[in-house]
Parts: sequence; structure tokens; C-alpha cells
Amino acid sequence: MLAWLEERTALPGMLRRFADHPVPGGPSMHYVLPAVLVYLFVQQGVLGVLLASHYSPSATDAWASTVYLNDQVASGWFIRGLHHYGTSAIILITVAYLGQLAVTRRYTRPREMIWIATLGLLLVTMVLGVTGNILPWDEQGYWAAQVELGIMEQTPGGEALRTVVQGGGEVGNFTLTRLYTLHAFVLPVVAAALLAGIVVLGRRNQAAEATLQPVRAQAFASGQLLIDVIAMALVGGTLVVITVQTHGSELFGPADPTSGFQARPEWYFLFLYKLRMFFEGPMEPVATMVIPGAAAVFLVLAPFVDPMAGRVGRIGVLVVLGLMMAGVIGLTAVSITGDAANESYQKALTQAHKQAERARGFAREGVLPEGGPAVFRNDPEYKVRALYVEHCQTCHELDGFGGDEAPSLTDYSSRAWLAALIRNPNAPRFFGGTKHTDMDPYPATTDDEEITAIPDDQLDALVEYLWKLQGESDVDEVLAKTGATLWEDELDCNGCHEIAAGEEGSGPNLLGHGSEEWVARVIRDSSQADLFGEEAEMPTFGEDKLDDEQLAKLAAFVVRRREGEAVQPVEAEAEEE
Amino acid sequence: MIASAGVLGTCVAGIAAAPAISFLTHPLVTPTTSGSDAYLPVGRIAQFKGAVPVKVDLYSDKVDAWNRVVDVKIGSAWVWERQGQLVAMSTVCPHLGCAIDYDADNGKFLCPCHDSYFSLDGAVETGPSPRGMDALEVQTEGDLVAIRYQRFKQGVETKEPV
Repeated sequence: MLAWLEERTALPGMLRRFADHPVPGGPSMHYVLPAVLVYLFVQQGVLGVLLASHYSPSATDAWASTVYLNDQVASGWFIRGLHHYGTSAIILITVAYLGQLAVTRRYTRPREMIWIATLGLLLVTMVLGVTGNILPWDEQGYWAAQVELGIMEQTPGGEALRTVVQGGGEVGNFTLTRLYTLHAFVLPVVAAALLAGIVVLGRRNQAAEATLQPVRAQAFASGQLLIDVIAMALVGGTLVVITVQTHGSELFGPADPTSGFQARPEWYFLFLYKLRMFFEGPMEPVATMVIPGAAAVFLVLAPFVDPMAGRVGRIGVLVVLGLMMAGVIGLTAVSITGDAANESYQKALTQAHKQAERARGFAREGVLPEGGPAVFRNDPEYKVRALYVEHCQTCHELDGFGGDEAPSLTDYSSRAWLAALIRNPNAPRFFGGTKHTDMDPYPATTDDEEITAIPDDQLDALVEYLWKLQGESDVDEVLAKTGATLWEDELDCNGCHEIAAGEEGSGPNLLGHGSEEWVARVIRDSSQADLFGEEAEMPTFGEDKLDDEQLAKLAAFVVRRREGEAVQPVEAEAEEE
Repeated sequence: MIASAGVLGTCVAGIAAAPAISFLTHPLVTPTTSGSDAYLPVGRIAQFKGAVPVKVDLYSDKVDAWNRVVDVKIGSAWVWERQGQLVAMSTVCPHLGCAIDYDADNGKFLCPCHDSYFSLDGAVETGPSPRGMDALEVQTEGDLVAIRYQRFKQGVETKEPV
């Protein structure tokens, strides 16, 4: 059977050579890092394919599809989280492997290419991380993209480069399709080639070493294999624990070009981010290009410099590498502690998390095809506002918008609104634009015998009484009592306005006026006999136009305006989007 | 040695493989699309007077995985009068889901993909369709006609909603 397969595919022989590969000096912990890298890359590939099967790379769908796969699809959060942390693991292990190669001096002739391939792998992984973090098109991804494309633009010929990568003059659909192609197809192939180089060249070297001391060498499958798998299991287990503990990777609200989100790069770019702060203005490319470029050149040349000038080269290289490592760690630490102590940043971050939670909650109802930010139209506050705009705004003014044929609803039925109405009910702000013009104005003073004056103190009492009829809780009872007396006797308001449930007068019954229930009745049908009767001009809103729930919400919306409730920011935001 | 490496290796592979199964089979457990159960208005009764079938498109809101779309075409139906009653039939052929057309010359319905012919009461006359055309529920309110749109399993003899 094996012979049959061997003759046709050569697979059994390949497998045997893989298993029999001689490990110099026998199994050792020292050999595990490339194996762990292979494991992590394969796992990233599998997870990446799974994510790709549920992700849509377009500016309108990227966020919504990511939220859906993260929050709705079973295990989605785990797969995305593991993929996210996997990149960090690859970076840490690649750096560890580079350190091992340098410290044990296993990067000099004839192993220089292993070192260079590993450097390449580190670079490609970092670019994979950058492109991957942009794909969800959440606040973090969008703003990080802006910064990273900006850095790209500073390079010589960078403007053209940015336009090509971005797929146009500004970010959009092409940015995502292009970055997705890079992240999912191009870079993984490059990474796989580099990793294959690391493994194959490493094995060639091991085989050569093993021939020097054949007695101590052992077959790969007889020991090293298990050690490699144990190392993989340890790394994999750690990743699982971190993913579960953090409940996956962060996901912010949808990309919003107006939000001013404070983007921070991934932890493995924080040192560059911090370095940039030491070089302001025209010096910026020193931090983004010159220093990293010089460091990269040095890293590539290190195995060639190392053997120069006796011990000087060796010590020099180790010192520079040590300083570079210390610099990276130091800058990263400074950046992290700086942000932790930065109150305004922490506040913005808390705000962004809250926004993310709201947006992801609304996304459960489905995101409109207009794109991620349209998710805020699922906000009940936005919906009631839309009802208001559709049904009311043509005639009623609110917060500076709307017609003047009907009473203004700005500050509707507040004490000030009530007082102003009594003073001049036929002003355009009140019933001036309607047929309901029977009520006389009540100025503070008058010479006209036909007109009744209401001094300011009496008006306050009257308003307080109306406030009480409205069903408010913060009533000045003494004042309201004075108002009640004025209402019944002196001013004879009850000649027109009844205040007993259901009683009809020539003016509207004012029991509970301005309350949600009263407003809802007016919206449904203001021509009811105990409301505006025949003078009603407002259209009726039957069940066909507003169901009971919509009616209640709309009434609450109108009434709430006078309570100074902080609903404004929510709406402003929803409208912007 | 190799056996323990194999067992442990399988566990390591399971880290990605296990969630992959629930991830990919998610649509078996949770519906990812949902249309409307409501009766959708298609026109006035007068439009459908007479025995000649009229094709109408149905519009509704729809949830499709991460999207909520408003007022989009979700399907179409043939509507005509039969024995004084309005009937509506889905244009989806019960065989393999092609769109059933009306052959005005012969006064029959025809699915052009695999040549199934249906009579004006929706029954199969000839061709591979396992059952007659799928009737949809019709409602009239005043002079308006509304249809409840549903999709049914294809390729089986009994009419079952999907």
C-alpha cells in the first residue's frame, strides 16, 4: 500500500524524511520557536478564512458584517478574538526568535538568510496587523487608517502611493477592497514563503550540524516533535485563555468621519507612535521614516557586521541591538503609562466604549444599507423624531425648525410658555395661525375697558394652578390655591375652560392639559368636543397613521421638550449620521 | 511518543476547528434572513378583473444578515379571477425555482426552464414539476388587494413553507 502510494506521489517518503530529520544534540526546548510560528500561521490562516466567509469588504457593509459575525454568529467573537491575539503572539515569538538567533550567534554565516527571512516575517506580520485592524471599519480602524495612510503619504512619491493603496482621493469602498486583498491574499502568501524559508533553511542547518556529531543527534519524531507540540499547546492555550477572558477583540462604533476618535495604533506600533512625538512638524519623517529605516538597515546587516574586527563587531552589534530593544520597550511603556494617566484620553475612550455599546445594540435590528452610521436610525429616539418630522413639523415649530400655522412646541407647556400664552394667545407663536382665536389677550396693564388685565403676581398664581392641572409634581400649593380662586371667581376662566373630566366648554377642557395623555388625545383627534371642538384645524391621526405605541411615544417626545432632558446630544448625533 | 504528540496535536488543531463548526453551521440554528408575515398590498380589485393573470411584484422590509432593508422587492405573484374569486399564485416554480411565465396564446402557465405546464387552476398539466403552482393567501380590504408572500420547499410533492 505504502509502496503503491510512494510510487505515485512520493508522499510516504517525504513524511519519513520529515520524521527522521536528525536533530543535533537531541530534543531541546531551543528548537521550538519556528515550530510555534508555523502553528500560529496555520491557525491564523484557518481563522482568517472563517472570518472571510462572513465579512463584506465595503465601506457600507464592513462594520455591520463584522458586528454581525462578532455579536450574532455562534463562536464569532472567539474566532475574531483569537485571530486578533494571534497576530500579537506571532510578533512576540518572532522577536523572541530573532533575539535567540542574535544572542546565540546563530545568524552568522551560513545562517544569515534565516535571520533576514525572520526580519521579513516580522515586518509582514506587522503590516498584516495594520491592514487587519482597519478591516472592521469601526472608529479604531477608520481613524488608524487615516493616520497610517497619512504616514505613507510623507514618503517620497507618497501621494501617488496613498492614492493607489487607498483606491482614490479619499477613503472608501476601494480602500477596503484593496486592504482586504492585501491582508487576505497577498501578504499571507509572502508570509508563508518567508516562513517556509525559515523552516527549510533551519532544517538544512540542523542536518549539517548533526553530521558533525552524529552520535548525539536524534530523529525529529522521536522527541523533538512532542516538545514542539507541547510548546504549541502552551501558546495556543494561553491565547484561548486571553481570548475568553477579554471576550474577544475590541469592536468600536461605526466609522464616523465627524467623531474625532482618538486613534491609537496596536501595541506593537506604540513605540513608533511615541517616537513621532519627539519630532514635530517638518521633522516628522525623521521618526516615521529615517530612524526606522536606519534601524531596519542595521538589523539586516547585523549578521555581516558581527564577525568583523574580532570581538569588536560582536560586542558592537549586541550593544546596538540591546539599545534598540530597550528603546522600543521604553517608548512602548512611556506611551502606555502616558495614556493611562491622560484623563481626557480616558474620558474619550469611555465615551467611545459607550457609543460602541449603543451602536452594537442597535445593530441587532439590522443596519440600513446606507452603512454603519445609519445604525443610529434604529435608535428609538431617532425614530420618534422621524415621526415628528413627518407628521408635525410642517405646522409646528420646534427648536427653530418648522411652520408657524400651529402653536410652537419649543418649551411646550412650560410655565413660561403658559404665561406667554395667557398674555397673548393669538400671537403667531400660539394660536395666531389657527381658527382657535376666541380667547382674549390678558396684558399686565390696560386702559381698554373691554380687556381684563392680569398683574404679574396674579399671572404667576394662575400659571401655578395650570401647572397643577397639568399633573406636575413640583407645584407650589399655596400659589396654586391663589390661582384656583382667580380661575373660578375673579377671572372666570371656567366660563370657557372646564376642568372636570369629559366636561365640554367653549374652550378646551384643561384637566391634565400638556400631559402625555392629553397631548396624545389632541394628536389623535383634536376636534373631540371636550378639546378644540369645531375650532380644531389640526388633522386627525387615526390608527392608520399612528398606532398606539407610536402615538404615546410622539406625545412623550413633545412633552419631554419642556423638561430640559438631555436628549439633544443623542439626536444631534443621530442626525449627523 | 508519536501517539502523545498526535493526541496533543489534535487538541491544538481543535482550538480553531471546534468553533469553526458552530460558526459555519450557525444558519442551521438561527435564521439569518426574515421577510414579512404581513399582507402586502399589490393593487386594486379592478386591476385583476377577468380571467387573464396579472403579474404583481411584492415589496416589503426585510432583514438580511447584518442589513435591514426597507421596501424592497421580495418576490412576485400571478393574480387573476377564478370562479368569481381572486387567486394568487407564487411565480416560483415548485420544481427547481425558475420563474413561471404566462403563455397568453394557450391560456396556460409555463415554466420555461424545464417545460412544466400549469393550467389556470394552478395544477400541473405536463412536465417535471412535482406539484401544482403554490397558492398564496389573498385578502381584500375595501377595493385593495393584499397578498401574504411565502416561499415553499422545492422539488417535493407537498407544499411546505421554507
